[in-house]
Amino acid sequence: MNSQQYDDSYARDRAEIEDLMARYLFALDYNDLDSFGAMFTDDAVFDFARGRIAGKANILEAVGNFKARIGDIYKDEDGNPAVLRHVLAHAAIRVEGDRAWTRSQWFEMANDGPGKSLKMGTFGIYEDKLERVDGRWLFSERRILNEFLPGRESGPGNPIHDMDAAAAQ
Amino acid sequence: MTLRQAQDGGYASDRAEIADLMARYLFAMDYNDYDTYAECFAEDGELDYAAGITRGREAIRTEAKVFKDNVARLFVDWQGNPAKLRHLVQHKAIRIEGDRAWNTGMWWEMTNGGPEGSLATPSFGTYEDELVRVEGRWLFKRRKIYNEFIEGRQTDPGNPVLAMDASR
Repeated sequence: MNSQQYDDSYARDRAEIEDLMARYLFALDYNDLDSFGAMFTDDAVFDFARGRIAGKANILEAVGNFKARIGDIYKDEDGNPAVLRHVLAHAAIRVEGDRAWTRSQWFEMANDGPGKSLKMGTFGIYEDKLERVDGRWLFSERRILNEFLPGRESGPGNPIHDMDAAAAQ
Repeated sequence: MTLRQAQDGGYASDRAEIADLMARYLFAMDYNDYDTYAECFAEDGELDYAAGITRGREAIRTEAKVFKDNVARLFVDWQGNPAKLRHLVQHKAIRIEGDRAWNTGMWWEMTNGGPEGSLATPSFGTYEDELVRVEGRWLFKRRKIYNEFIEGRQTDPGNPVLAMDASR
């Protein structure tokens, strides 16, 4: 049950959270770990293909290692690290006071197709928890699901429901 | 969108709610949640897509399952299993007048139905929507889904936003 109040404060919070999600992707794709780290609470959880990591310092270490290795996985046809971009599409965003949640659709694409052409990689969803800390929305948990990685798929149920249930508590 | 509308304080919150509705609509569809899907429509709402026109929330609830069952046969992965199909909504031109709204939005779809389980991008099109505010909630009054890859379902050559802005 979606009990969201869609008022002016929702519009402002949603706008800020959308901006945060865009900044997150630029930081990730351009290896800007300082900006990346500033988007998480100190005790945040980052749950991705390599495991469930707790605490900002541990997250930065894990993501740094991941970014250092990703060039081995995604290569253009000359063997160089591919230019990889994560892209966000639609987001369902639930806000309740100083807590918020998202369920949002992402995909990735790179220049690793024939002749360095665009090739679509994988897709999945983000399941996020956010907290407002000193007036700013930050991720307290980002869970990244990927439909192409066994064990990391989303669903089968509609991911919206546990978000709405958490917000109602 | 008129300048007056952009300056109206209510536009941002209406637009935010409609964006959320569109995201919830897609999650409901892609994860086979027919009840939540149907609840995105007004009770007398209308869904107009490749298989025809369906009128009324209850009929839409039934039609959503028919659509997904058909899609499970149509989109399969390289091993013959139903593919994971995701619809995406990109930019949205949204016009609001009181308790009525219109959306012209760009959608596309992706699956894991490419060679050896890779990502495939079967089609794209537009949504042309009319929305209505019912008891304080925005719902679809009519959603027309165009698909540029299906004969007879392509958009017309003219800018669909002009038609939306001329709607009364």
